Amino acid sequence: MGKWFKSGTPWIWMTGGAVSLSLIAVIGLFILIGWRGLSFFWPATVYEFSMESEQGQKSVLIGEIYDSEHVLKQQLLDAGVKGLEDMPISLERFLIKIGNREYVDLDFQWILETVIKDTKVADNVAVFERTKNGNFYGYIDSINEGETKLNLEGQALVDELNVRIQRALDFRDKEHGLLTGDIGRINYDLDRIRLNQRKLELDGQLTDQKISDFAAQSDALRAEYLGLEAELFDYRDQAKRDSVVVRDMTGRLVTMPLSYILDFYQPNNMGFFEKVGHWFHQVYKFISNDPREANTEGGVFPAIFGTVFMVMLMAVIVTPFGVIAAIYLHEYAAKNSFTKFIRIAVINLAGVPSIVYGVFGLGFFVYILGGSIDQLFYPEALPTPTFGSPGVLWSALTLAILTLPVVIVSTEEGLSRIPSTLREGSLALGATKSETLWRIVIPMASPAIMTGLILAVARAAGEVAPLMLVGVVKIAPTLPVDGNFPYLHLDRKFMHLGFHIYDVGFQSPNVEAARPLVYATSFLLVTVIIGLNLAAISIRNNLREKYRSLEH
Amino acid sequence: MIDLSNLNPKSDSLETLTAENTALEIKNLDLFYGDKQALHNVSMKIPKGKVTAFIGPSGCGKSTLLRCINRMNDLVEICRVDGNIELQGINIYDKSVDVASLRRRIGMVFQRPNPFPKSIYENVVYGLRLQGINDRRTLDEACETSLRGAALWNEVKDRLHDNAFGLSGGQQQRLVIARAIAIGPEVLLLDEPTSALDPISTLTIEELITELKKKFTVVIVTHNMQQAARVSDQTAFMYMGKLIEYSDTNTLFTSPKQKQTEDYITGRYG
Repeated sequence: MGKWFKSGTPWIWMTGGAVSLSLIAVIGLFILIGWRGLSFFWPATVYEFSMESEQGQKSVLIGEIYDSEHVLKQQLLDAGVKGLEDMPISLERFLIKIGNREYVDLDFQWILETVIKDTKVADNVAVFERTKNGNFYGYIDSINEGETKLNLEGQALVDELNVRIQRALDFRDKEHGLLTGDIGRINYDLDRIRLNQRKLELDGQLTDQKISDFAAQSDALRAEYLGLEAELFDYRDQAKRDSVVVRDMTGRLVTMPLSYILDFYQPNNMGFFEKVGHWFHQVYKFISNDPREANTEGGVFPAIFGTVFMVMLMAVIVTPFGVIAAIYLHEYAAKNSFTKFIRIAVINLAGVPSIVYGVFGLGFFVYILGGSIDQLFYPEALPTPTFGSPGVLWSALTLAILTLPVVIVSTEEGLSRIPSTLREGSLALGATKSETLWRIVIPMASPAIMTGLILAVARAAGEVAPLMLVGVVKIAPTLPVDGNFPYLHLDRKFMHLGFHIYDVGFQSPNVEAARPLVYATSFLLVTVIIGLNLAAISIRNNLREKYRSLEH
Repeated sequence: MIDLSNLNPKSDSLETLTAENTALEIKNLDLFYGDKQALHNVSMKIPKGKVTAFIGPSGCGKSTLLRCINRMNDLVEICRVDGNIELQGINIYDKSVDVASLRRRIGMVFQRPNPFPKSIYENVVYGLRLQGINDRRTLDEACETSLRGAALWNEVKDRLHDNAFGLSGGQQQRLVIARAIAIGPEVLLLDEPTSALDPISTLTIEELITELKKKFTVVIVTHNMQQAARVSDQTAFMYMGKLIEYSDTNTLFTSPKQKQTEDYITGRYG
C-alpha cells in the first residue's frame, strides 16, 4: 500500500478524476440546456383528453403534455382531493399546455391521471401561433373572406388557409418594412429638424428665413408621412380581410383574423421529416425574430445582435488600451517598486466584483462623461439625454475596464516570452527601440494578445450585472445599427442574451411559457460565447503559426 | 595594467598602422557592470579590411568588448563605459552620435542564429526597410547581392518567401550575415558565430569570413583557437577583462610574448 502511494498513482487518479469531473459537469450542463431548450421547438403531439371529475362532470382538454411528475397520495389527500381511496400510494399528474389563453383561466393545467378517462391523439388538430395570447389549439372549421364563408372541405381547406396566411404575412412584412424603413426615417428626420432648429435657437442664429425653411422641410416630411400612413392602413386592412373559424376543445367556434396569425401547423398529421423541417424553421424563427408578448414569445434576434455587437465594441476598445498599457509597463517603465505596485494593482482589478464596475460606469461614464458630452455637443436635445443615459457605448467601455487586467497581464507575458536575441538582432540592424517594437516584438506577441482577448471576450459576453446599470434593457425598440445616418447609434440602449435570460426566467408573467425559452436562450448564449471564442482561437492559431519562434 | 609597450614589438604592422588603415581605435576603455569592472583599460587598433579575432577563456570580457563596439551594451541598464572607441576619428560614445545609425555602420551577428519570424526575403531587406527603402527592384537587388555575399543564394533562391525558420542552423546563421551585410556596414562584428553550429556549417561560415574581409572589416569573437588561427589576421588574447596580448595571428600562436597567452594556447587553462 505504501508502495502504491509512493508510486504516485493515487495522485494521477486524483488529478485525472478532478479533470474528468469538471469535463463531465461542463458537457452535462451543455447537454441539459441544449436538450431542454432545443426540444421546445419540436412539434409535440397534441392529445385530446376526455376527463370526468368525481362529481361526474365531463370535459375535454386539447393540448400538449408539457411535463409530468409523481405525487404522493397523502399529499393529494391533504390538499383536499377526494376519491383517491383505492389508488396506489403515488400518482402521476401531467402539465398540459392548452393554449387559448384568452378563453381559459389557465393556459397550463395540471391534471391527475385519475380524472383522465380517455386519451387519444387529436387528429387534424391545428396549432396556431399568434401575435398575441400565445398558441391556439383547435380544429379548423372554415375560412371567411370578409363576411363570406368559403365553401371548402378537408385538405383543400388547409391548403387554402396556408395560402391566405402567407398572404396576410406578406402584408404584415410590408407593414413592418414601412414602419422601420420609410416611416422610421421620416420620424428620425423630423426629430433632427427639430434638434437643428433648437440648436440654432440656442446659438441665437435662428432667423425667420431658417424657421420657414425648417417648417417647409417638416411639412414636406409630414406630407410624405400621410401618404405612407394611408399605405400602412391599407396593408393592415388587407391583412385583416380573411379570418379563420376554429372549433376549440369546448366546441365553441372562434373567429380569428389572419392578421393575428403568424404560423399554423398540424403536428399530428406530420411525418418525421416534416417535423424535422418544422423544427429547423422554428429554430430559425427563434434566432431571427423579434421578441413578442413581454419576451415570452417570439425570437431573440435583438439580444443576439446586442450581445455580439457590444462584445465586439468592447474588444475594439480594450485591445489598444490593454496592449499599450502592457507595452509601457514592460518596455518603458523603470523597473522599480512603483512599477511593481502598479502591476499588482492591475492584477487586483480583476478581483473587483463586476457590479462595482457597473456602479462606476454609471457614475463616471454615464453621468459625468455622458453628461458633459451632452452639455458640449447635444445641448439642443436637453433635457432629454443623448449620451447622458445608459447605452451600448458605456456598456462596452465598462466591460472594457473590467477586462483590461486580463489583456494587460497576458500581453505582458507575451512580451516577456520574446527572446532577447531577436530584439538585439533588430537593434543591431539600426532599428530604434520603437521600430523594433512595431516590426518584431508586437507581431510576435500578437498570439498572446489574442489569448488575452479570448479571455476578455469570454468574461465580457457572460457578464450581466454591470450591464443592468449601464445600458441593457428588457426591450429595445431599435438596434444600435440601422439605416439612418450615422448608422451606428452608440448612445442607444440594447438587449443582451444574459439579461434576457434573467428577464424571461424571473420577471416573466407566464413562468411555464417562459421556461423553455430560458433554456433555449442560455444554450444560445453559451453557443455565442463558444463561437466568439472559437473565432478568436482560430485567429490566434494562425498568428502562432505565422510567428512560430525559435526554440528557446 | 597592460599598455601598448608590452605588446609584441615585432607586430610593427599593428604598431605603425596609419589612421586611414585603421577601422576602429579603442582607447583606454573601462567598463563597469554596476560596481564590478568587466574591462580594464583596453586599448587597441583594429585594421581595416582584416579579420581580427578576440580569444580568451569564458568570462574574460571578449564578448563584452565586442558589444561595446556597436554599443549593444547600452541595453544593459547597469552598464557604464569610460574611454573612447573611435570610428574614423569620431568617438562613438560621444553624445552627438545616433546609436541607430552607428549600428548601421557596424553590423553584428550573434552567437545563436536569430532570424526574424518572417520570410527569408523580408529578413534580408529588414534593415533596408527600416531606412525607408521600399522600392521593389532595389530590395530585390540588395537581397540577391547580400545572399550571394553570404554564400546562401543558391540554396534559397527558389524559396525566398518561405519562413526563415525552415532553414537549417548553418543556413540561418548565413541568413543573419546576409541581413547584416545588406545594409552595407563598414565593420562586421561576429560574436562566436559558429558555436551553435555543426562542423560542416562551421566550415562554410569560416570560408565565408575569408570572403567577407574583402569588403568589410571583420571582428570575430571565438573560443575556438583553431578557428582564430584559421580565419584571422590579428588575434587579441584577453584574460580577466584585460587585453593581454594583441598581435598578428601567426606571431601570437607561434611565439607568444606573454606567459598567460602561452599557457592558454597550449591548453594549460581556459
